[in-house]
Amino acid sequence: MLFYLARCAAQLIVALVGIVTVAFFLMRAIPGDPALYMLGDFATAEALATLRARLGLDLPVWQQYGVFLLRAAQGDMGVSVVTGQPALAEIWAAVPPSATLAVAGMAIAICFGVPLGIIAAVRQGSVVDLAVMLLALGGISFPVFWLGLVAILTLSHALGLFPALGATSEPGFWKGLHHLALPALVLGLSVAAYIARLTRSAMLEILGQDFIRVARAMGVPERRIVWHLAFRNALIPVLAVIGVTFAWSLGNAILVEAVFSRPGLGSTILKAILSRDYQLVQAGVLVLAAAVVLLNTALDLIYGAIDPRLRRT
Amino acid sequence: MAETSMAPGFGRRAWMGGAAALAFGAGFGVPVMAQGARTLRVRFGSDISVLDPARIFQIENQSIAGHIYNGLVQYDQRTNEIVPDLATGHEVSADGTVWTFRLRPNVTWHKNYGAFTSDDVKFSFERVLDPATGSLYRGQLAGLKEVQTPDPLTVRLVLEAPNSGFLHKLCAFNQGWIVSRRAVTELGERYTMNPIGTGPFMFDRWTTGNEVRLVANTAYFGGAPALTDIIFRVVRDETAAAIALENRELDVFFALQSPDVIERLRRANGVTLLDRPANNTANLVLNTTAGPLADVRVRRAMIHALNRKALIDGFFRGTKFEATSVLTSTFQEFSDEGVPRYPYDPDRARALLREAGVSNFRFEITTVGLNPFDRFPVPLANDLQQVGIQATVRVLERGAYVQARSSGNLQSCITAVVGPPDPDSPLVTLYHTRSHPPGLNTSRYNRADDLLAEAARAPDLAGRRAVYNRLLRQTMEDVPVIPLYADRLFIAHGPNVQGFVQNSLFTVNASPVSLRGA
Repeated sequence: MLFYLARCAAQLIVALVGIVTVAFFLMRAIPGDPALYMLGDFATAEALATLRARLGLDLPVWQQYGVFLLRAAQGDMGVSVVTGQPALAEIWAAVPPSATLAVAGMAIAICFGVPLGIIAAVRQGSVVDLAVMLLALGGISFPVFWLGLVAILTLSHALGLFPALGATSEPGFWKGLHHLALPALVLGLSVAAYIARLTRSAMLEILGQDFIRVARAMGVPERRIVWHLAFRNALIPVLAVIGVTFAWSLGNAILVEAVFSRPGLGSTILKAILSRDYQLVQAGVLVLAAAVVLLNTALDLIYGAIDPRLRRT
Repeated sequence: MAETSMAPGFGRRAWMGGAAALAFGAGFGVPVMAQGARTLRVRFGSDISVLDPARIFQIENQSIAGHIYNGLVQYDQRTNEIVPDLATGHEVSADGTVWTFRLRPNVTWHKNYGAFTSDDVKFSFERVLDPATGSLYRGQLAGLKEVQTPDPLTVRLVLEAPNSGFLHKLCAFNQGWIVSRRAVTELGERYTMNPIGTGPFMFDRWTTGNEVRLVANTAYFGGAPALTDIIFRVVRDETAAAIALENRELDVFFALQSPDVIERLRRANGVTLLDRPANNTANLVLNTTAGPLADVRVRRAMIHALNRKALIDGFFRGTKFEATSVLTSTFQEFSDEGVPRYPYDPDRARALLREAGVSNFRFEITTVGLNPFDRFPVPLANDLQQVGIQATVRVLERGAYVQARSSGNLQSCITAVVGPPDPDSPLVTLYHTRSHPPGLNTSRYNRADDLLAEAARAPDLAGRRAVYNRLLRQTMEDVPVIPLYADRLFIAHGPNVQGFVQNSLFTVNASPVSLRGA
């Protein structure tokens, strides 16, 4: 186990260095210049040169990369070229709202997706199955920003159930939850559609296998067959997709963040890319990549807990 | 310092709470004025980034700064007249080169940074002029030779040459905002997001990507504001912002641009929709050194070919004004008497092109990928195609666009100069040779320098207006820049807001606002 964790840590470091290196060079490869962005309409050649020197952009790219790696190894991701604040601190500030939305969205997705998938599989070919699959098709097909606007127009504006703004700085757990509900619902329902479809197909595959037929022949109660035999076996692919979609939610909730006016990692990184805020992009990519790698490691460990055949030594 | 607010962490119990909230959402109801009756909630379209006047840009940053800082003088929000602010009055020497300002006594800096004195004024202007600061606005104070401080309440500005329009440069906006020497020195890099001013509101906190909070400065020299605090909330989507305004989750909708949303709010109950002409036009800038565009007949053919009225009536559904030059009626110096007009006339355009001997002319409009600039050039290209110009549109993401434009190699581009009602703002920026690329004079026009210098030497407002009128006539005869439309600013507010004054600066200033029933 210790060896496994050490290997995971090594993989994490290699992956992070690789990803941040790619981000470093990609940002410098795309057209645009932070100094020009900041000076914009009033840029003069002299002002541009002064600002570039101050930002260290007058150095050759390989030298900039060396300085960046050296500082990053010491935990210093630099300061945002636009706001002058430490880049990592600015990114950390965007993590809690993103993580909250991703966790709440996934909770809703699992609560809806898994039971609906199981029901559809158990009642394959029935009206219930058809209805669940139609709903799932809708969830996958409708863009999340459209679902968001429809939710605001109906649940917020017409019915007055939830606020249109998906975040608040007002204190209070329930107040926070009230603002979170609508964005989490929209994000969750779009992910629930994937989970429902996958759960259904995984369950159908397991329910068609010999050991289920034998269990039925031996008179094992149907409830036990579904929950103890079939569902536990179907859980591995479902867990895999939950892991992948969670990472997706963390980084790509940007559309939900935009529609519901929530702060978050996605919108912070997008803003940084648009303003060519190199340090902020690098810090953001580092945090996102670390989250995804750690999540996948955690999932590997969970697989082992569920299926002894996959247990690590 | 960046802070963030978050909902508490989620455990199993919170999950159940979430499900309960979804199931019983009706039980919560939408909160109305939950933050106290004297908090004003204003919509911003995007987040803030820089609050240091030397480096400030973008309307959201300028709106926040407008509440925090003062200048020696300021624009009257309604009339754009220049009126006193931190200075109670001023005198100009007979030769027009020495400007002496008497400062308001007993003004203090926010957060115990001491008394405001003439030394702060000297520091502020010298800081903008110092190349090491990297200020965007160094050019604005270029004629300022020396700042003298004979006593703590007197400041003397010595100019290299007389400039009757110099007061514009000192107005409370960008380089005109006065900073505290002590605060800037002590806070260093952190000053960028920790501004200290003398204005009616103090900076309290910035929650990255979410909101900015200002609190009232009860010691403000103009009297304590009626509001206790202002929250500027980032709501990117205009439809969502409109619904939040109708739901009373917001009080003021700033940067309202979408014609659909404007129409929606015009009909909404309890919503007041304000609009006024802005200080800027949107322009098609033609590179006068690029092939056929060097011929003035081709440029005149193009302006005749563009159906700018249809653009305003159709694309913008009447939410913009027609522009006769790059100055708008909001400028005190504006006069369009005798300025040539170019009505939509495709036949005249074809004739001019024939006269210039131009055929198979490939023309590219480069524009930025931001709404509406990425879409309205399409009908313009269509208009040009109707007269035989093979026009295309190239849309670039903002960073790439700024870089491409600053290279100076574009055939044409879309440029809007948003700024104060100082005629130099659009005119120097678009026509002076010192603004040649990387500046915004991408037409490479070179016939305006003398007239701009003459306007600065003119003794008074009437004299300046006459010279600027000559400049407008000349530039509209030469057509290096085609003004497409004059911008129009829309702001909406809820029924509880009173005393709101909309300015023409493309910023929001809620200092005089009070809340009904509070």
